[in-house]
Amino acid sequence: MTQLAFNSFLVAMLSVPVVTLISRRWTKACALPPVLLMGSLAAGVAVAAVGFWGGQRFTVDVSQVASFSFALSVDRLSAFFLLLICSVALPVILFSSSYIPRHYAGVRRHWLWVLLPLFLVSMVLVVTASTAFAFLFGWELMTLFSAGLILMDGDSEQRRHNIFIYLLMMHAGAAAVIGAFLLFLPHAGNFREMRAIATLMPPPMRTAVFLLAFVGFGTKAGIVPLHLWLPRAHPIAPSPVSALMSGIMLKTAIYGLVRFAFDFLGGGPSWWGYLVLFTGCVSGLLGVLYAISEHDLKRLLAYHSVENIGIIYLGLGSALVFTANHVSILAALALTAALLHCLNHAIFKSLLFLGAGAISDAAHTLDLEELGGLQKRMRLTGAAFLIACCSIVGLPLFNGFVSEWLTFRSFLAASELTNLSAAIVLPLAAGVLALIGGLAAACFAKVYGVAFLGRPRSREAESANEVSLPMQAGMGVLATVCVVIGIFPGLVLRGLGTLTEELLPGAALPPTAASLSVLLPWIALFVLVPVAGIAAFKRAKKLTATWACGLPGLDGRMEYTSTAFSKPLRRVFSEVYKADRTLDVVPADQPYFPASISYRSVRTTSFERSLYRPGVDAIVTAANRLRQLQTGNIQVYLLYIFAALIALLMFMRWV
Amino acid sequence: MTLAMNAVQVLLLILLAPLVRGVIARLKARIQNRHGATVWRPYADLVKLFRKEDLVPDSASFVFRLAPIVVFATTLVVAAFVPLLHGSALLGVSGDFIFLVYFLALGRFFLMLGAMDGGSSFGGMGASREALVSTLAEAPFLLALMSVAILAHNGSIAGMVQWTIGQSFFQFSAVHALAFMALALVAIAETGRIPVDNPTTHLELTMIHEAMVLEYSGPSLALIEWASAIKLTVVMALLIALFVPWGIASSLSALALVVASLVLLLKIAALVLTLALVESSVAKLRMYLVPDFLGVASALAILAVVFTALMR
Repeated sequence: MTQLAFNSFLVAMLSVPVVTLISRRWTKACALPPVLLMGSLAAGVAVAAVGFWGGQRFTVDVSQVASFSFALSVDRLSAFFLLLICSVALPVILFSSSYIPRHYAGVRRHWLWVLLPLFLVSMVLVVTASTAFAFLFGWELMTLFSAGLILMDGDSEQRRHNIFIYLLMMHAGAAAVIGAFLLFLPHAGNFREMRAIATLMPPPMRTAVFLLAFVGFGTKAGIVPLHLWLPRAHPIAPSPVSALMSGIMLKTAIYGLVRFAFDFLGGGPSWWGYLVLFTGCVSGLLGVLYAISEHDLKRLLAYHSVENIGIIYLGLGSALVFTANHVSILAALALTAALLHCLNHAIFKSLLFLGAGAISDAAHTLDLEELGGLQKRMRLTGAAFLIACCSIVGLPLFNGFVSEWLTFRSFLAASELTNLSAAIVLPLAAGVLALIGGLAAACFAKVYGVAFLGRPRSREAESANEVSLPMQAGMGVLATVCVVIGIFPGLVLRGLGTLTEELLPGAALPPTAASLSVLLPWIALFVLVPVAGIAAFKRAKKLTATWACGLPGLDGRMEYTSTAFSKPLRRVFSEVYKADRTLDVVPADQPYFPASISYRSVRTTSFERSLYRPGVDAIVTAANRLRQLQTGNIQVYLLYIFAALIALLMFMRWV
Repeated sequence: MTLAMNAVQVLLLILLAPLVRGVIARLKARIQNRHGATVWRPYADLVKLFRKEDLVPDSASFVFRLAPIVVFATTLVVAAFVPLLHGSALLGVSGDFIFLVYFLALGRFFLMLGAMDGGSSFGGMGASREALVSTLAEAPFLLALMSVAILAHNGSIAGMVQWTIGQSFFQFSAVHALAFMALALVAIAETGRIPVDNPTTHLELTMIHEAMVLEYSGPSLALIEWASAIKLTVVMALLIALFVPWGIASSLSALALVVASLVLLLKIAALVLTLALVESSVAKLRMYLVPDFLGVASALAILAVVFTALMR
């Protein structure tokens, strides 16, 4: 029965593009694709819930009828990520059902409704595939469909360059992923055989598999220094697509890494864990530091994805260290933290991107310096955005806190390990996580404070109106889920506990995790009762103008700007930014009586320069050298052919 | 009975907090050769403010009036984590020191938002500076608490207190010394005292906390002031509970509780006197020296954690 539901879910998803194309001339049917898509996603949520909580397995195997081995199989890990994809995509599509018709007309709209379901299906393929072929098929399609969706917003020179970088890095990453699969391939094409083979592999081979998977999936996840594409590709996509890319697509990379590192390889030496942990620290810190200096909302959010992937890597890294030290219980705790943060990040990050979409819909800009005072103009959007901010910062009673708390707990528990280096390194990582949390708090106080509070800084922001009802509903659903998981984490934690038990032999979720789900509702009660009590107590209130130091009145231009807000932190961490500043005073010989002064400050990502530039230069130089071979002279080409023939003959002679 | 006692502890913290502030102000006045206001002055201020009306900027949203409530409520929760008179707390659970740090962060986050909702540049300025200080204080705060937790093999503050009572004062380890110094520095930054911030400043350009609450008045201001008084007392109580808990009641008999209360009063008096002396003799740091100040705290906290592993 449930097997049938899974099949019909896949068929329904695939039918959406067909229906869109068939009904494209029939104007009354423009609501059909979103409704159909939401219906199939709801079916997906139900199927995934049965798989995740009930442990039901589904399989679809077409290897018999096709000439290649293509099979899907949903175990608990797949079901968790399937749940993540469907439950987050559902409100995003609800939001899009109003957002897309408002912003895209004609062919573009049809293309969006064709590509969106295909993009979702490709991600479903990735997390449910049980053969290497099916996985890589989904993996490549995911990249292509997302690039297509980005193109829907226009194809200027700059955008094409960014998409080029995106595709280039994705293919480099995919090459590494394919490499990781190829090391298994001569003997095994499906996941069950790969598990068996991995236990027989010699250690260097296992390391090679792990490193290839680490690099390949790391590129997709956007870890530093492989994050270069992320702040370029995510901000230029349509907002709902950014939500899907940041919220869901990055998580497929985490799925891949968990599948390889824990399921196939079953953990490894502890340096694997330290590598992941260190990457997590660097990504988390640099991600949030870069985010603070941004004032374009979507770029800022994109950098926060780098940060949150870092936090997930902190959990994964410590889980690997624990596995290497043979403490499965703690590994289960850390892995649960990482997986839960995947889900939480998917929820609040897609909410934030939808909020950005709502802002650009209402105020026609995403530049924080032009926004302000939106909370009074967009009440529900503002409230939902505030909840998302609290969640991403990891404040208690919101979902981000639960996963960060579990990560902290696993770091604390590491102090009991007999291995000295682990007992020092892991607790110190808690300090890094706390610093990341503090920086994120500063960043989102800036975002919400500048965009939604105070006075509007431009006419557009002043005339902003609340967005349409479906858009509000989409954001409202996600915001509610943030709070529900934040207060009742037991809903997800129990299922995750069973999942980690299956994944790590001999593991069980420690009682501390369970105690959290009992405690949090009480603490929430302890906070909410005073809040409600004081709020109910009617305080006399009078509206007045803010004191303007004797001036006639304040306007938006007098407020603290986003750049000014982040200045102290940028100054303290100036080593990270390496700002390129140019100051032009005209005329130059009269510095005290200038006609005009222009000042420019650009943050240069030092990675771009020192890490990528030499490689790119080397390739270009090599290509230029090789160009000398192409003379355009037919005699020379005949000579090449002759030389190749001789070389081949000699080769044959020796072999 | 234990539950009732724990609730009494929280109430005591809430009700006595303004007095601690009053005593500090009075002591500082005497040290500076002034007469100073009575120690009950903060209570009078609170009563006066609660009777007044809230002046709300015309540009402000619901966040402006929500922020003081959230600040107050989170401070209450934090107070409920700290054992005061006997070795347990109202909300004691494994890993609660993380809650403590993050609930303080929650309150601060909303205070920053409330400040920015006022629409003047002073609020934004205060919020921006608070963001700097609190960001850099969070890591050493958490690490210092964590080092004590590692030492006590217990993740709850009440558990750490129980463990410390079992130790002899003269077996004080290096970890304790390092963690205490780190926490003391963090406590100064966290509660906005000199040399990080000056709670009595009247010059907007040097303000941190005061700039954030500049637009608040009436009951909202009263809630914020009360919350910051509670925060100061709670942080003091936390330092006492973690590092010098001896004298705390081990049973719930009347005699033990009376003794514990007297001992606690003495310890708080000692801390208050120290604070008054320091605040009268040290100048406020320049803003960009605060990161160095907190850098020292971070280094001490990191060393404390490293030592826990090295010394087992």
